[in-house]
Amino acid sequence: MSVELFGLSFNPWADAAIRLQIIVGFMTVVVMGLIYAERKILARFHQRIGPQRTGPKGTLQSVADAVKLVGKEDLRPAAADPWTFELAPYFVFIPIFLGFVIVPWVQGWNVRILELGILYFVAISSISIVGWLMAGWGSDNRYAIIGALRAAAQGISYELPLVLALLSAAMIAGSFQLDRIVEFQDTVPILVWQPLGFFIFFVAALAELNRTPFDIPVGESEIVGGPFVEYSGIRWSMFFLAEYAGMLIMAFVGSSVFLGGYAWPFGEELGLPFQILISAAKGGLFIFLIFWVRASVPRLRIDQLMGYSWKVLLPFSFLQIMINGLVLVYDLPHVVLLVTGVALLGALFWVTDGIARRPLQPRRKLARVLAVQESEG
Amino acid sequence: MIGIAKSMARTFQVFLRGPVTRNYPDYHKPIPETDRAFPLLLWDTEIDEPFCTGCHACERACPVECMTVLMKDNPNHKSLDGTSSRRKIIDKFWIDYARCMRCNICVEVCNFDAIAMNNTWEGHETSVYDRKDLVMDLQQLLSQSRDGNINEWVPVLGQTNEEINEKPEATDESKSSEG
Amino acid sequence: MVEIVTQSNVSAGDFETQDLLLNVGPQHPSTHGVFRMVMTVDGELVKDVIPYIGYLHRGAEKLCETMDFRQGIGFMDRTEYLAAFNAELSYVMAVEALADLEVPERAQWIRMILIELNRLSSHFMFMGAFGVDTGVFGTPFIYAWRERETLIDLFEEVSGDRMMYAYFRPGGVAWDVPVNFVERVNEVLQSAEQGISDFDSLLTENEIFVARTHGVGAISAERAIALGMSGPSLRASGVDMDIRRDQPYLKYDQLDWDVVTGEYGDVFDRYYCRLLEMRESVKIIRQCLDHLKAGPILPEKMPRMLRTPPGEVYVRTEAPRGEYGVYMVSRGGNRPHRLKVRSSCLSNLQALTELTVGQYVADAIIILGSIDIVLSEVDR
Repeated sequence: MSVELFGLSFNPWADAAIRLQIIVGFMTVVVMGLIYAERKILARFHQRIGPQRTGPKGTLQSVADAVKLVGKEDLRPAAADPWTFELAPYFVFIPIFLGFVIVPWVQGWNVRILELGILYFVAISSISIVGWLMAGWGSDNRYAIIGALRAAAQGISYELPLVLALLSAAMIAGSFQLDRIVEFQDTVPILVWQPLGFFIFFVAALAELNRTPFDIPVGESEIVGGPFVEYSGIRWSMFFLAEYAGMLIMAFVGSSVFLGGYAWPFGEELGLPFQILISAAKGGLFIFLIFWVRASVPRLRIDQLMGYSWKVLLPFSFLQIMINGLVLVYDLPHVVLLVTGVALLGALFWVTDGIARRPLQPRRKLARVLAVQESEG
Repeated sequence: MIGIAKSMARTFQVFLRGPVTRNYPDYHKPIPETDRAFPLLLWDTEIDEPFCTGCHACERACPVECMTVLMKDNPNHKSLDGTSSRRKIIDKFWIDYARCMRCNICVEVCNFDAIAMNNTWEGHETSVYDRKDLVMDLQQLLSQSRDGNINEWVPVLGQTNEEINEKPEATDESKSSEG
Repeated sequence: MVEIVTQSNVSAGDFETQDLLLNVGPQHPSTHGVFRMVMTVDGELVKDVIPYIGYLHRGAEKLCETMDFRQGIGFMDRTEYLAAFNAELSYVMAVEALADLEVPERAQWIRMILIELNRLSSHFMFMGAFGVDTGVFGTPFIYAWRERETLIDLFEEVSGDRMMYAYFRPGGVAWDVPVNFVERVNEVLQSAEQGISDFDSLLTENEIFVARTHGVGAISAERAIALGMSGPSLRASGVDMDIRRDQPYLKYDQLDWDVVTGEYGDVFDRYYCRLLEMRESVKIIRQCLDHLKAGPILPEKMPRMLRTPPGEVYVRTEAPRGEYGVYMVSRGGNRPHRLKVRSSCLSNLQALTELTVGQYVADAIIILGSIDIVLSEVDR
């Protein structure tokens, strides 16, 4: 058994290893580009110039950062748990990286097409929560432990809406296989049939990536970096690599599932250069949107964040799946999906606004906690 | 959601406005004449000696005691067949820039307009590796004025813009009465 | 066989849980300087807060007792570096009251314009820092910095320095403003109005911002008064008190402007009061510019060394953060015998523990931000 790659035939495992190697190289370069892009774009949002000294227009800034980070001393606090502390970055990074296996960059360019691609992606990416917990626990730092517990709570909570949003899209496309989903969107992207699903996916993706407004695990102004507050040098940079790699993968999965990947709007028969262009443009748009949100909105609080996932997003995603089921079982026209989707999206916005306007009363909650303690002690 | 949309619209609008920051080491913002960096001694180019006579007025008025002044007899005085009308002249002068709080009082109390605040970028870019190097001696204090690199601005207390326009040369009298 | 446990016989008391002591500061991005608070947290809830101050104590008050009245001005700048004109104003007004000096009209109007501009720049600073506290990545900070930069450029043109102005003198102002002062102020005001509207659209209606700030850190009017709060932090609780109107100094009684008050005294009100106050400041400055006429800026016959008769005086002014008072005792001579600065930040900070206990850790940060402390004024 052998597999074709670049016109040569390889053992499947060797082939996969080579493809992964290519991904490693590609990803590192793209992540460096992303870091540069984020700095430049955020700078523009801030009316600054951004990096400009290293290389032409500062394009080598990420290289300079990488050199500096590699050269930095790899510190470990004396009281840290050595194994947990040292291994945590790998546990954060490797699952994210394994997610690249299923991404359909353009037609025929991927590591493997898995039949349960979406499920694989969801399953593998949630492992990185373990890494966050390990980092927080192993650092022996109170900011880190608070951040790690926040990360765990948030990661688990937003996993569900994310899965359900992807699931509802998969229902419409009739497959878990990502290239089939892309194929399905030859003429109309799933975004049209699942506007609610896309919104939920985008919000949950922001939360999974720990980006603003869901960046409470790193909460720069509260817990000064959270789980990786004690890390330095190359280990610290692995957390960042994971963050940006996660953003890349989320952007491409999102654009494949909801925006039609390389297929929409010109169909699959287009040449490779066009496909690359379309794919990159959609991924880029997604990433720009993430940066834009980051420059515009404040951070949520932990209770609001959890509440929004469990009380708002989750019921709405279940509702979406039920409607999808009804439409598919009774063979209703797809327009029903569009109408209900838009209506539900409106309802979701309305509910969100309602929550935002209601003053919250944590004071009362503590009073209860204290009363319980007093009665027991 | 409308509020968030509004925020994002505004950030995007600002995105389009373009950068407002200045590229500092390449571009030096023009600084106003009134700008105060650290005090400098001025050079009397007509007679080719410092204006300062070492009268200790600034040293006594300095709130942070950053100045040390020593005077001597002027070897260039007219009585010694020189060209200067100053009987005494500055011998040694130190200003500790690390202590100076740039309050402008030394300029205000000076009766000879011999000291001024540096209003050029050289005054702001005084960085050294050792604090000792921030104690400036007479040569360092005078060099900038001697080379003509400073457009000194010596405010006269209480003088209004109208008075300046009327009599541009009114300095010494009003200074001694109001300073 | 799986036995379904319907009622757990493990109660909360069986677990040994410990509260976490969390040290915030003195080096922390959100303590606005060198402030330290030790929080006892139960999970995410704050059970106790102990603030520690004094990291920036330089003995400015005691130092001023060794300085004559002109030298002291420079030290007053340093007690309140974000609103140095206001600090100077209180000091020189105290000296004027002791020495019974009459301040010329033009000097008063110049002072008015400058302290209101300084209020703008200080509030911009608050907006920026507070926006970052709530978690917007840098955007409000840079908007604030942009506007503050134009204001500070103007201050530099007027006084010669960007932060430590040393421009007010007992009896007036040190030297006249630049010839193009009025046009420059108008320019700056236009840009400031743009900045205010930027903040208004960026934060005020943003649902996440509203959710974070509404109902958080609320304090009643009675408690706020009891704790000695002042300024916008007090007015946010609905207390209609502004020294500029209640005990007019300079020329505030001749102008048409409103005192902004809040309703609930929560973080949002404290933010919004300041935002509206900035609009009022713009209004005040516009009116002041109309009144600015040519004339003397220092009284005639100012002595070379100012001496005051014996006496004591307390002068209070409405600084951007509240009541900035100067209590000065003179035994005659050219320097104060005793000087005490009544710091608005220190009094407002008293409320921190009361506001914070029972809230989330993230809220503790924005409550501290909403009080708007300047550590140099707290510690002096």
